[in-house]
Amino acid sequence: MKPLLSMKGATIRFGGLVAVKEVTFDIRPGDLFGLIGPNGAGKTTCFNLITGMYQVSSGEILFGEDCINGARKLPPNKICELGIARTFQNIRLFGALSALENVVIGGFLRSRSSLFSALTLMPPAIKDTRALEAKAMEYLKVMDLEEDAHTRARDLPYGKQRRLEIARAMATNPKLILLDEPAAGMNPQESEQLSRTVRRIRDDYGKTVLLIEHDMRFVMNLCERIVVLDHGEEIAFGGPDDIRNNPKVIEAYLGEPV
Amino acid sequence: MIDVTSLLVAGIEFGSLPQQLLNGILIGGVYALIALGYTMVYGVLRLINFAHGEVYMLGAYTALFVSWIIYGRAQDPVTVVWYALPLMLLSAMTVCALIGIVLERFAYRPMRNQPRIASLITAIGLSLLLQYGGQLFLPVSPAPNISGKVNPYRDNLTFYLTQPAPSLVRAADALKPEMDKAKAALDEQLKLEKDEFNLSDTGLALRKEFFERQSAYNKAQGEAQSSAISITLPKGQLIMFTVTLILMAILRHIVLFTKSGRAMRAVSHDFDSAALMGINVNKIVTLTFVLGSALAGAGAMMSATFISGVKIDTFFGLLPGVKAFVAAVLGGIGNIPGAVLGGILMGVAESLVVWAGYDQYKDAVAFLILIVVLLFKPSGLLGSNKVEKV
Amino acid sequence: MRFWGVRLASIAGGIGLAVLIHWIALSQLSAFGVRLVVLAGLYVTLAVSLNLINGITGQFSIGHAAFYQVGAYAAGLFTVKVFSSQPLTFMLWVPVAMIVGAVVASAAGLLVGLPSLRLRGDYLAIVTLGFGEIIRILSQNLKVVGAASGMAIEPKMLSQSPMVWLCWLLAIGSIALCRNLLQTAHGLSFLAVREDEIASSAMGINVTRTKVAAFVLGSALAGAAGGFYAHYEGFLIPTQFGMEVSFIILTMVVLGGSGSITGSVIAAVALSALPELLRNIKTIPLATVIGLTIGVIAAVSLGRRWSEQLHGPVRDRVLKLSGLTGLCLGGGYLLGLGLRALPALSEATTDGNRIRMVIFAGTLVLLMLVRPQGVLGHREFGLGKWLREPAR
Repeated sequence: MKPLLSMKGATIRFGGLVAVKEVTFDIRPGDLFGLIGPNGAGKTTCFNLITGMYQVSSGEILFGEDCINGARKLPPNKICELGIARTFQNIRLFGALSALENVVIGGFLRSRSSLFSALTLMPPAIKDTRALEAKAMEYLKVMDLEEDAHTRARDLPYGKQRRLEIARAMATNPKLILLDEPAAGMNPQESEQLSRTVRRIRDDYGKTVLLIEHDMRFVMNLCERIVVLDHGEEIAFGGPDDIRNNPKVIEAYLGEPV
Repeated sequence: MIDVTSLLVAGIEFGSLPQQLLNGILIGGVYALIALGYTMVYGVLRLINFAHGEVYMLGAYTALFVSWIIYGRAQDPVTVVWYALPLMLLSAMTVCALIGIVLERFAYRPMRNQPRIASLITAIGLSLLLQYGGQLFLPVSPAPNISGKVNPYRDNLTFYLTQPAPSLVRAADALKPEMDKAKAALDEQLKLEKDEFNLSDTGLALRKEFFERQSAYNKAQGEAQSSAISITLPKGQLIMFTVTLILMAILRHIVLFTKSGRAMRAVSHDFDSAALMGINVNKIVTLTFVLGSALAGAGAMMSATFISGVKIDTFFGLLPGVKAFVAAVLGGIGNIPGAVLGGILMGVAESLVVWAGYDQYKDAVAFLILIVVLLFKPSGLLGSNKVEKV
Repeated sequence: MRFWGVRLASIAGGIGLAVLIHWIALSQLSAFGVRLVVLAGLYVTLAVSLNLINGITGQFSIGHAAFYQVGAYAAGLFTVKVFSSQPLTFMLWVPVAMIVGAVVASAAGLLVGLPSLRLRGDYLAIVTLGFGEIIRILSQNLKVVGAASGMAIEPKMLSQSPMVWLCWLLAIGSIALCRNLLQTAHGLSFLAVREDEIASSAMGINVTRTKVAAFVLGSALAGAAGGFYAHYEGFLIPTQFGMEVSFIILTMVVLGGSGSITGSVIAAVALSALPELLRNIKTIPLATVIGLTIGVIAAVSLGRRWSEQLHGPVRDRVLKLSGLTGLCLGGGYLLGLGLRALPALSEATTDGNRIRMVIFAGTLVLLMLVRPQGVLGHREFGLGKWLREPAR
């Protein structure tokens, strides 16, 4: 099967620090893919490379056939348009806007109506907006947020904000969705529920999922393939059982129960 | 807009280039002094202190008032008192430091937890308030001017870089005998005249001839002189530059080698962490405002005193302030040596525009530089590139 | 069908409102009153268009008068050069000239918008300020627009019956454009850029294009207002524009609440009258100014402290705080009367013209200390229904 996303020796340096070094892995369509590693291992930096927030110092990243970071460096909005959406570790919602509006904005890039028709409130713009709102409501339901549709994003509790970020990313209609610590700060029940939702995103909506998570139980139960980073380097790759028994991983986590 | 042909039409004299460069460096020293205040405040608070130019303006007024106390308000020339200039400098620095403390304590500190845009609007508002509010209370019309009165160092030092062109000197010298002859003839005639103020026709004719010859000689003499490349250096501005350098050296010492300076650098590196490490950030912010404002005060006093013909009004700080800010950005905002470099470059750039014959666009060049810098190197010449953390 | 019915009705309503304002102004008001109405219309346009850039898209432009000036000069120059050799009547000509002003000003907006894209708030502020200064310096030196001595626009509107309807049509049109925008997903993308640029670009929004669009649109509206002003005043000199005007517009936007169109409109109407009214006040004792200033400062600092301790229904709190404000202002006035006894202040007076910018600047600073989000915050009031829409 052709990979959906391939990291080919992606490397980034900040001054003297090599934050991500020659990371190489493939994500296949339909994967539930985990990216784990101790703090400072370069996981979020990998996300930033994939989404075009940072540019690789060497190596390249392919999405399908297209080079998105490497020989050609696409800006984040183009990459999102191609079909990669993400959430942020430190939540970055549009705080003053309602949950519904946040999700509508997520879907906006697929809207084809012109700025002119928006300014003059012509039928295409109205239809687009109504369609996006209906779609957004649907995503809010998936994330169990429909009751908070009109609440300002910054007034939502933390767990709901995390889910809203996922809904917003879903609204961009991506092929690949990157979740940066989606379960951070959730209690076991919430995290259990989230795990089911993520699986649904893959099974019912056919999205490929790449996620970063510190909650080992969450990752081991959910992800089918896992890459482990440490100090910017890839130290292990495989299914949950391989990772659990890999001495290098155990060493990297210094006895944390894997 | 500026192309080569128009430059040629404007009549560029390369001989005046060294002079203009020197002027640029001298005025650049003042920009650097003001720029230091912008850059230091930006360093610790990430705030463009728009009112900094107005602190500078109030420094000039302080110098004015002190000079009035010492010498009286009359415009007549005065006998110079030795302590006048030092006293004006110190009081301008002190008053500005106090104003800086007041602004920080009552306007900026309450804003610290608000979005940055709120502090910025406050700063703009304060700047306007001082400009227009000052007009109600400060003497503005006629705009006062102290440079002619209190500056004892008005004479120039002139250095010749090259000799005048020999052919022109010879041409001028050739006219001298003719002029002397006319002068002698006129003198002879004047002895015969009864009334010096009511000359006879012959007298009038002779006088006319003498004047013509004299002006021809002066013109040739002038041409010969201007063919030499020379630098004229007003002594006052030399003093100004020297004091500027001394103040910068003191600042450097404070920032690099004292405990407070170290704390200031820590706060500038990371405000919150510095606070957690037990640094009294309020004290450090106040100190920053004190240092920056005092430097602006010194710059204001010196430019009001040593640059001839400078008039003081409540907009005195507007353009120097904006230009100094541009200088700070040019050097890399938050970076102290950068501010000095930026200030000097700013002054030089401005004088180059004057030299090219575009005096009226002198004030616009600052903004052009700003836009170019922001386009090509937003972090400034000496600033470091910071990647925003996602 | 229903859509087009509603649409036609609202367009007719807008035009009707403009005509109504025109009719009331010309039939009921003095020449001075008409001037106030015209200026109010222009400032509404300016404030709403700056709000599009500052409040809605979250950029921080403080040189809006430059676009106004560019529009005025472009339209004026166009009329001076072209009017005599074309067949349109003056009434139809002015809108054409305004469009020219808008196009040239939007080109200027593009020019400023493009380099500013990489800049965050405070840098952008300086760039726009600098752009304003460049425009001012150019207009003072370019012979073609009369340099410092100005340029007469011929023909101009008759001073006894200016086209009030046109300037209010522009104002109403600007309001409608912005409100329309905010009702669509497109408008949300502008708000998203204001809220978080990085998240916006990660959500596929072209941040660059959005910012440039805001700049171009905002400056086009300001340029059209300038085009009207050129033909209304009939004479353009550089001092009519410049930083002062920029700051007045900024104060309107900030006072009304960045992002709130209703707020901008109300603040623009209220504040546009102030400079003109103050201009007519010839002497104010300086002592009164000082006294009232102290009163205002006392009201603000006491009110800030007190409002944190006040509880209970909103109405009670508002009543108590307005009582406090009244007391402080009254006290300030009395203090002013007392200060007049001082020999230094007994004779000193000032005039309205000189205190107007002080009032604007003071408003800006006090507002930031008391209510940085502006009077209305991000809120809107719907026309007619007076219901609060979801806060944004």
